[in-house]
Amino acid sequence: MRQKQYFTGSGFRAGLKRDIVIVVLILTLCSNILPATAEQEDSESNLTVSKEGFFDRFIAYVKSLCPGETRETQDSEAISGAAIADTQQSASSEEAILKIATPNVIKSASLIGDSNLGIFAHLSNPPLMKMDAEGHLIGQLAESYNVSENNTCWTFYLRDDLYWSDGEPVTPEDVEFSIRYYGKETPWASWINDTLESSTVSDADNSVTFRFNKPYTRINLEFATYNILPAHVWETIEDPMKYINEGPYVGCGPYYLKQIDLKAGKLVFEKNPYWKGKTPEFGNVEIHFYSNVDVATLALEKGDVDTYYKYASSYPYPNIKQLEKTGNFDFLEKTNIGLAFLAPNLKKAPFSDLKFRNALSYAINYEEIIRLETLGYGEVPNCGFVPPSMEGFKETEKLEYSPEKAREILEKAGYSDSNGNGIREGKDGKDLKLEILIKPDSARVGELLKEYLEEVGLAADLRTVDEDTWFTLKDSYDYDLTVTRTTPWGMLMHASWGSGYFDSRRTGQGVMHNLDDPEFLQLCDDILATTDPEELQGYAYELQDYYAENLPAIPLYWSKVITPFNTQFEGWYADPLYGIYNLDNFVNVRRNSA
Amino acid sequence: MRYEAGATFEGNTLKTVSGTMREVVRKTLRYATSFLLIISLNFALPRLMPGDPVKNLIGEDVYVSEAVMEELRIEMGLNRPLYEQFTAYIGDLLRFNLGYSYHLHSPVAEVLRERIGWTLLFVGVSIFLGAALGTLLGAYAGWKPETKANRLICYGFIALSCTPPYFLALICLDIFAFELGLFPFKGFYDVPTPGSVMYHMFLPVTVMALFSASRNFLIMRGSVIQEKGQLYALYARAKGLYDISILFRHVIKNASLPIITLLALDFGFLFSGALFTEIVFSLNGMGTLIYDAIIGKDYPVLQGSFLVIALAVLLANMLADLLYAIADPRVRRPT
Repeated sequence: MRQKQYFTGSGFRAGLKRDIVIVVLILTLCSNILPATAEQEDSESNLTVSKEGFFDRFIAYVKSLCPGETRETQDSEAISGAAIADTQQSASSEEAILKIATPNVIKSASLIGDSNLGIFAHLSNPPLMKMDAEGHLIGQLAESYNVSENNTCWTFYLRDDLYWSDGEPVTPEDVEFSIRYYGKETPWASWINDTLESSTVSDADNSVTFRFNKPYTRINLEFATYNILPAHVWETIEDPMKYINEGPYVGCGPYYLKQIDLKAGKLVFEKNPYWKGKTPEFGNVEIHFYSNVDVATLALEKGDVDTYYKYASSYPYPNIKQLEKTGNFDFLEKTNIGLAFLAPNLKKAPFSDLKFRNALSYAINYEEIIRLETLGYGEVPNCGFVPPSMEGFKETEKLEYSPEKAREILEKAGYSDSNGNGIREGKDGKDLKLEILIKPDSARVGELLKEYLEEVGLAADLRTVDEDTWFTLKDSYDYDLTVTRTTPWGMLMHASWGSGYFDSRRTGQGVMHNLDDPEFLQLCDDILATTDPEELQGYAYELQDYYAENLPAIPLYWSKVITPFNTQFEGWYADPLYGIYNLDNFVNVRRNSA
Repeated sequence: MRYEAGATFEGNTLKTVSGTMREVVRKTLRYATSFLLIISLNFALPRLMPGDPVKNLIGEDVYVSEAVMEELRIEMGLNRPLYEQFTAYIGDLLRFNLGYSYHLHSPVAEVLRERIGWTLLFVGVSIFLGAALGTLLGAYAGWKPETKANRLICYGFIALSCTPPYFLALICLDIFAFELGLFPFKGFYDVPTPGSVMYHMFLPVTVMALFSASRNFLIMRGSVIQEKGQLYALYARAKGLYDISILFRHVIKNASLPIITLLALDFGFLFSGALFTEIVFSLNGMGTLIYDAIIGKDYPVLQGSFLVIALAVLLANMLADLLYAIADPRVRRPT
């Protein structure tokens, strides 16, 4: 009876209705999704127009889900809307867009608070100074600078052709405001607040003078990292660290930061209409961030972006060959001033023994590490630690792989295997069982080092820990040997030439702070007390000699930074600090006339 | 007699009502206890991780004095003893204040609201599609497991369920975005229009839906195979019902009970488990938020995210309990 009712009565009708609803839903879904895929090359506006009804409801849903999008003030909304409209307009205009892929993901639309955004904003808010291709510090917003004899008073003379993107001229007051602002508002620049005694501006010669309470010799380097902000905009912002704005931001570079779109994963820079320097070729520069490096490389290979940038890193070595095959890319090659090194615990025997460290340096097969870790894009380092791309480099002896020499040195130094168990004993008569502390990204190097040490009669165990545990163990000197790396800024910080990593008076997550030899500390202080280029050169040589003679760390390889760029463009160069992300590239790079 | 019958009926009804009330109270208490436990764990777990949020905030190569670090610690409330931090956390929660993110420079509630919306859009649609596809195909494959087509589908879904979502996402991205150029590589959109959102979401949603469907398919198939041998299914056939009718009107109702459980469990996954897909497609969702917060030791974001996930899972379990009661009368029966 019920069955009959199903086929003939309301049950059947209900079933039919349900089927019709399902079919209609599926058809609606297909009609909305499939054209989007098939017509992907059509402009977004076409798609929007063709599905207005459905999409209106859809966008209302999306907007209701995302109150964050509407949390800005009305003005910001208007600006944001205008920015989007402008972006679409720009995209359709004749002017080229330079697109850069990066795995340095921007996490917050905070110009001051997000470190990656801070680097990319060098294009819109350039620092006073910059580094040239050879690593010399030269003026950027500053035309020139001078420093008093006692190194406490620094005067920067600004270029007179600089204008903010809202038409206001860049003044010495802007520079003074920016530097003081960072010192007051950001913890990492708190040294400014502690040491800056006074500052004065002179509109007559367009200069700003900073007077410090003690000699400060690396100001020109420090000021190559702080973005200059427009005082007339930022002075009203009470807490810049908490200031979130998706743009536009007023800038004085060849471009200003127009939009930060975290959901689209891009930054949009647009030409500064008041830029008086060399006219850039591109109407817009877009930074596209990818959470996954492999996807970034695929996007580059596909031609979605024109080049690749990652602070302190190269384009992934395994992907270079594949990119070469396309024939669409050229490569810029430069030795990284950052490097990988093996750090012995100098506060512990036998690592406090120079002869033992010397033997370790001979036990390592550098060529093999370079072959496996950098796929050949590296070179055997010198004992002097500092890579050749760094200003003040001195040619010291190249590190050599010789297990025989390592064994001989160990024997002579009294580390012999007297009980014949294949493991050498230390001065206390116990077997030398070394622990190599590594982070997961050093697993391969760790395995290789373990083999090398065993080859010369030293037992070794690997201890792999996460980064935070590594910081804790390293800070409490709870390790025998550890593998880590330096960054370009790390090599330049403190008294430069990597000294910031070893000086025991310093602290910081990435630094070893394990060297308290008075000779080394004095050398650091000497460097920090002078701004004279010749003196600095002399001290740099001394420091590299010190590294070579005392081996406080054993460099494992000097790697190369490989930057691919589309052959359509030419005129790129890389500086040792920020690689290709320097202002010059954005005004000099041109479409290849060939 | 009639009066007695009425009295018995009323008595039974009262018993049922009081039983249901007891059940509701018992469950409410259970959920409240779970919630309190969750809050305590939310507070404790981030602090059990190694690492110092202040040093993490400062960065690797930056030198700041101990005094400045201490100032930051005070500002972040990390200088206080743990019990004080805990009471402050509970106090904030009671005022619906989830704190302020160390790294994202925004109130946590605001960050979560933004991310949850997009995650719901992306993972919610995937789970819905995956449930529909997996349930329907699984039911059909379980009803007629011997046909070639169903076997083939079964092999396909087994392969999919064995594939890690990360790998599946990369494969799909390689084929459809890189080789065929049909879809974009990243982001929720290029310009904030619905068309762009749908275009960008198609591939990640498909990957997640396929993965979700494969799990639902296998469970549904097994469940239907078990149910179709039951006497009620045989009786329905004996009544003369058509196959399709037996499957979709009778068997599927009983066979879908494990799916309800799975969907409830998937709710936690909804907010956190999409991490790998989010990384492959560079999507700013809850998965990457939690991942970044773990890396950056962003305690307020972790506490807030864990709380939201826990609440979602509790809510989903409550819903599952309700759905169970609707789908299976035995659950409603007083014990």
